[in-house]
Amino acid sequence: MTAQAQVAAPRRSPLRGLAESMRRFFKILIRNKAGFLGFCGLVFYLLLITVGPRLVPFDAEVKLDQIAAPPGSRDQLLTRRADAETYTSLESLAGRTVGVVRDTGGATLVAPYAGTFTVREFRWRGGRGVPDALEALAAGEIDALVIFSESVRRYITAPSAQQAAQAETFADLVVSNPALGPVHLFGTDTQGRDIFSHIVNGGSVLIFTALLAGFLSTLIAVTLGSLAALLGGIVDRGLTALANFVLVIPRFPLLVVLASLIQLNNVVLLATLIAALSWPSLMRALRAQVLSLRERDYVEAAVALDLGTRHIILREILPNMISFVAINFIFAITHAMYEQVGLVLLGMAPINDYTWGVMLYFGRTRGTLFSPDGASMVLAPVLAIALFQVSMVMFARAMEEIFDPRLRTSV
Amino acid sequence: MSTRDLSVGTPTVAAPRPISWRARWERFTGSYVTRTVLQALVTIWAVITFTFFLIRLMPGNPVTIYISQLMNTENITYEEAYARAAAQFAFDTDATPLEQYIDYLGQVLQGNLGQSITTGTPVLSLILRFLPWTLFSAGLGLLVSFSLGVLLGMMMAYFRNSPLDHVLSFFSSIMSAVPNYVLGLLLVVIFSVQLGWFSVGDLRGTYDPHLTPAFTLEFFLDMLKHAFLPVLTYVLGTLGQWMLSMKSSTVSVLGEDYVNVARARGLPQRRILTAYVGRNASLPLFTLLAISIGFVVGGSVLIEELYVYKGLGSFLFQSISARDYTSMQGVFLIITIAVVVSNLLADLLYSRLDPRIRISGEK
Repeated sequence: MTAQAQVAAPRRSPLRGLAESMRRFFKILIRNKAGFLGFCGLVFYLLLITVGPRLVPFDAEVKLDQIAAPPGSRDQLLTRRADAETYTSLESLAGRTVGVVRDTGGATLVAPYAGTFTVREFRWRGGRGVPDALEALAAGEIDALVIFSESVRRYITAPSAQQAAQAETFADLVVSNPALGPVHLFGTDTQGRDIFSHIVNGGSVLIFTALLAGFLSTLIAVTLGSLAALLGGIVDRGLTALANFVLVIPRFPLLVVLASLIQLNNVVLLATLIAALSWPSLMRALRAQVLSLRERDYVEAAVALDLGTRHIILREILPNMISFVAINFIFAITHAMYEQVGLVLLGMAPINDYTWGVMLYFGRTRGTLFSPDGASMVLAPVLAIALFQVSMVMFARAMEEIFDPRLRTSV
Repeated sequence: MSTRDLSVGTPTVAAPRPISWRARWERFTGSYVTRTVLQALVTIWAVITFTFFLIRLMPGNPVTIYISQLMNTENITYEEAYARAAAQFAFDTDATPLEQYIDYLGQVLQGNLGQSITTGTPVLSLILRFLPWTLFSAGLGLLVSFSLGVLLGMMMAYFRNSPLDHVLSFFSSIMSAVPNYVLGLLLVVIFSVQLGWFSVGDLRGTYDPHLTPAFTLEFFLDMLKHAFLPVLTYVLGTLGQWMLSMKSSTVSVLGEDYVNVARARGLPQRRILTAYVGRNASLPLFTLLAISIGFVVGGSVLIEELYVYKGLGSFLFQSISARDYTSMQGVFLIITIAVVVSNLLADLLYSRLDPRIRISGEK
């Protein structure tokens, strides 16, 4: 370093310094493919839980004919073959009669057109709603029918011999507009509700709890780890023994037992409980780090120069630990997510919010796990959780490589 | 210390010099093995104490819950309910908490863990029925994933930056990130329900109820068949971590001088691979083994419940669901003790493999 550089340093504003280091960080991050993917994943999840719920509201409406529909299903417009060219949209039906089946979501589509055409509603009545409506259409009582694609498939193209006669009755009917209403990207659940909307809305509580638990756990680890290393003596021995004790108890069974004894009625309590059991491994690592950092030459130099405890801790020791702490904070989040969803899956954690974990819990308890139609009900939350964990871990691993140059050069 | 030994030793006998009892005692207490075993015993004592506090003394503890439950459902007085609870949880009603605690310690040491609230069976006999299956499935899972992970990790390190390394690295980092129960759900949904490769229903339980447990090949194969899904899940859930750690450990060992020297001496490749690289590179993994044991046994609550595999984890969940607190307390205690003992075994194995630990520990 020349004298000139030393003079120039204080003039640089801290904000520009931060921007400069961020720029350098991203430059390295982009070169690290896995890390960049992980980072993109995190940004995606951040957008999903902040912006997502505003764009896609939670679908709580039970729709009888949309139960366990496969991905990509949506409402359709059905007419007789002769009218297929004429009635292709709801607008083209002015002055005609349109049929909808109640409690199937179609009513919300035709509601805005109430003045332009007559709406006839078919009651569901134990599953007869759809065939009734189809028969009415075949008989010419109504001109078109707004109906869910899956229920049409079930009646018109059903391969079973039992429904062959039905298929003949409905042979004259065609789909004149296959794209009506919102598409169920991931299909629907056992109550005919849109799974996609549940995925979009079901992450925020889980991620918030995981973040909180990870933060608390890291906070406890940093505090106790530095206390043990800096105070030494009986404090050090006591804290290390406590950490070793907590570490050896299998965490998940203890969590399950505690969850059964404590009324876990809110997520803050859940996060605190998870954090209270997950700090020891990081605490031990931090204790070792502080102990080793305290012996470094530059720390000794700072002590010799009498720069003060505050300066030594904040400027010499902490900056060397901060990346390690940050990386372990991310790992703590993934562990908290694991434990939290595990508890929910067993039904031992609050299930008031319809989260990804609760979707899995219902998949397990309501048997959709073993139903061939239920694949997307289980796979959608499974992928949401798995991708979250994978992006977190990939990002954390990349950070490890970026902040530890030895890893970067050797691999 | 050595001078004192010499003075006590009898000079008449020439052959092995007898060591004083005191020196023997000092060597015994100072040895790594003794210290590790003592530490494990202290931990077990702490776990028993912790369980006692959890079950008896914590506000809203199971005993008080059970008493109020009895009073409500069977319409009996507090004293009667208290006596019933005392009989179930095996504690003396007249004793002070401290006496109860000492009594509890004695009972646990004798293997008396009380009786199951729901069935009345001694908890210990229930545990002994379920424990072997968890030990079998979790142990087999760990063994397979550890050996496979060491093997694949070494391959990754040897063929660094080859397509094989990239593919394996990719899969291992994904597998180590995905929760094991999520892998289990994927196995069920994709391979059983969608592709129909196997029926989850047939694989439920620990063995076919039509078979009687015996030392026959048929029974053994059936056992393996039923343990297949839990074991596969444990393997997939921990394999990535072993592969990644083994790879980085092998990479650092490959750069060591003694490996270069071994090569220069013209030792056969296989010997370098096993005795020089493999043995030294796998050492750090044994410290991870201790953590992994707790994780796998802990995860068995979820995995066994998912596959309806009747082991200790599934039993713990069932007793919690049934509010069977005596069973819950017993199972938790046994699971924890099992993990402590497995950790101890892993530590001892590690100290045998790496003498440095033993020697530096004895100083």
